Amino acid sequence: MSVDSPDKVIDRSAKLVFSFFLSSAGLWLLTAALLAYVAAAKLTDPFFLSTYEFLTYGKIKVAQANAFVYGWGGNAIFAVSIWILARLSQAEVRGSVFIVFAGVIWNLAITFGLLGIMDGHMSGHEMLEMPTEVWPAMLISYLIITFLVLVIHRSRQVRETIAPQWFILAALLWFPALFLIAWNGLEINPARGTLQTVLSMWYGQSLVWLWLTPVALGAAYYLIPAILGRTIDKYYLAIFGFWCIAALAPWSVVHHLEGGPVPMWIPAIGTVMSIAMVFPIAVASTNFHATAFMDIGKVWDSLPLRFVIFGTLSYTVSSYIGVVFSLPAVAKITQFTIINEFHFNQRVYGFFSMIIFGAVYFALPRITGKEIPKAAKSFHFWTSTLGVLMLLLAYLIGGLTHGVLAGQPSLPWASSVIQSIQPYFLITKFAFIILAFSQFVFVVNVWRVIFPNPFAFFAADDKEASA
Amino acid sequence: MNNLAKFTIGIFLTLGMAWLAFVVGARSQFGDLVPTSEVLEDDGSVPVDAELFPTSLSGMAKQGAEEYAALGCVTCHTQQVRRVEAGFDVERGWGKRPSAPRDYVLQEHVLLGNSRIGPDLANVGLREHSDNWLHQHLFEPQSIFPSSLCPPSPFLYQQIDEPVKSDIEIVSNENADGNRFVRPTVRASRLVSYLQELKQDYELPEVSFVEVEEDVIEEEVVSTDISVVSTGAPKWLQDQIDTGKEIYMKAAPGGGMCFTCHQQNGQGLAGQFPPLAGSDWVLGDKERLIKISMYGLMGEIEVNGVKYNNVMAPPGIPPGSLTDEQIASVLTYIRNDWGNSASAVSAEEVATVRESLKGRAPMQMFTAAELTTPVQ
Repeated sequence: MSVDSPDKVIDRSAKLVFSFFLSSAGLWLLTAALLAYVAAAKLTDPFFLSTYEFLTYGKIKVAQANAFVYGWGGNAIFAVSIWILARLSQAEVRGSVFIVFAGVIWNLAITFGLLGIMDGHMSGHEMLEMPTEVWPAMLISYLIITFLVLVIHRSRQVRETIAPQWFILAALLWFPALFLIAWNGLEINPARGTLQTVLSMWYGQSLVWLWLTPVALGAAYYLIPAILGRTIDKYYLAIFGFWCIAALAPWSVVHHLEGGPVPMWIPAIGTVMSIAMVFPIAVASTNFHATAFMDIGKVWDSLPLRFVIFGTLSYTVSSYIGVVFSLPAVAKITQFTIINEFHFNQRVYGFFSMIIFGAVYFALPRITGKEIPKAAKSFHFWTSTLGVLMLLLAYLIGGLTHGVLAGQPSLPWASSVIQSIQPYFLITKFAFIILAFSQFVFVVNVWRVIFPNPFAFFAADDKEASA
Repeated sequence: MNNLAKFTIGIFLTLGMAWLAFVVGARSQFGDLVPTSEVLEDDGSVPVDAELFPTSLSGMAKQGAEEYAALGCVTCHTQQVRRVEAGFDVERGWGKRPSAPRDYVLQEHVLLGNSRIGPDLANVGLREHSDNWLHQHLFEPQSIFPSSLCPPSPFLYQQIDEPVKSDIEIVSNENADGNRFVRPTVRASRLVSYLQELKQDYELPEVSFVEVEEDVIEEEVVSTDISVVSTGAPKWLQDQIDTGKEIYMKAAPGGGMCFTCHQQNGQGLAGQFPPLAGSDWVLGDKERLIKISMYGLMGEIEVNGVKYNNVMAPPGIPPGSLTDEQIASVLTYIRNDWGNSASAVSAEEVATVRESLKGRAPMQMFTAAELTTPVQ
């Protein structure tokens, strides 16, 4: 056997876990897409599948969010962070079998959790709706995986750490802490009254800010310089940005309780901290975009990077919009409207998923040695862009309409306020169809590389593509 | 940053501070709230024999809360009335006062929610819906609000072919085959009893009822309707139309509550309540209209060639209490909105008709047949 470069050896050691998590993530992505379509279709026609209790809107909507965040998000986080940390540590992935074993438990736990939700065992806590029976399995499998990832990091060749490592490690470590705090405060040692809501809201929003967001930011900090072959512009700001997110994000998320039955200081602190979030947003934005715009032609030519820059732009825009919507005068109109959907989808589709797509398209050919056809990636990029923009615009404009009309007490609710936002639900339904199609293409792209020979049919296709 | 242990301590410290505030701090501040009386003694103690609020849910309602959580109702319904400066909730009539943390201390599932595709339900028990209305709404919300997006829950009901008295009739406006009858399962009954018990109809020492200035709302009603304002009618007519609209939209003594059936847009509800916009009855003979406005109408009526069969109680609160001026105004209004344009009705005309019906027993509703046969 010839001598391989160290990167090749590392990539080979990561192949099993990366392929496992990525292919499961793909399946969850499709599950979530299907559920998202059903939920959106139910908002345009309430009688759609209405006779099946397990498909009622409240359950489907919740199952979709959980499948997306824990199924797609969780598996994608594992895949991407293991590979990036192994590469940065210049250390091989060890204990792949244990990681895959824990991954199987994680996926089984979520599967049972979603079935539990549909069977009527929803807990009613935001982003913790899965029945409590599966929580231990989730936590234990997560801790096993994280432990083995930390082992990779500990065996690194270079002691100095850089931005992608901070963000990804922090995210990996924050999740179990958040989960334990929520578990303790909601189930083991349950708080009474609206304390429950404060905690579950804090957990649910922090999950996005402290788990999904840092992993995507870390991946962007890794991919942009790696693909462009230049260092991050004003890199010295990154450490400030990181600690700002660490210090401010856990406080900022509670501004959604504005005006509600909780002590006023809670949403007030949330609002102040949300405004302070402009600093870390500006830092990340400067780092990414100043670097990318030095060589914008190259960004456009490299599909992985195009995905990443779409994600970072989306992060910047959505975060600034988030700051504006946290101001009490604006929140008075937008609170409780479908603007919430705008925020959630902007985060998970427009930002997190796009960066993960970029990372996957960058990593997969290096790990498997097989290239994905450019046309397929390009098709995925354009359908995603179209779907995401359609979805977000519909939720944004629909949300503002919703808020303005709801604020006029003389307008009847169902026949006026809700009827006026129905057209927007129709647009989101089509957007979800486009996104489902786009994600199907992504999963086919990925699976064809990971499992090149499931059928002779696919093998023949591969030869054509490489020819 | 390079030492994993120090790094871990650092990121947990930042998280820990927020945890200290929102979990530990909040718990020590209001984690031990208990029910209390509406008004405290001067020294801050609870009066000896005062009734304590909030009260705990009944057993049936507690089970209903489980159903509410399991069906994911919280996805679209909040259960919180925001403070007056933070939202329109009180103005919209969703509660008599903002919700307070104490309201929730006895609830096992606190389902505040954060999305309102449906209306807020913190005070749904105060809206005086009958159990049957709620059942009909759960079974098929669209049979009550055609444009509702609320998912029907037929799986909570048994459809009945041969109904007994206790079964619930679903008056459908789409289903031409006639109405259906359903029997609630025990789960549906639990849900309904939960909804009926959701009410914050007491004051607490920390929060009292909000006085809603009615005038403000009525002003808004008028000002949001551009079609009325822009007709350029003479002032006396405009005044009469404006007053009429107020009566049409008002669901309180002095009002006619007409919009509840004929809708704000005058379109009625297909199959149930005839439209007023473009109606041959509304634009036709005034005397018939005046009679209906005094005594109500029952039985079959054909409007614009479509047959309706329902009961219209004499308008007004209490029924039949509208004065001659009020009837004149509201009739003038319905003859001059939504594209209608017909002569005004004066109080004198109403008085003449009232005189001619002197002998008629109060509340004795007219039938369409009686009105269309020429009176001798």
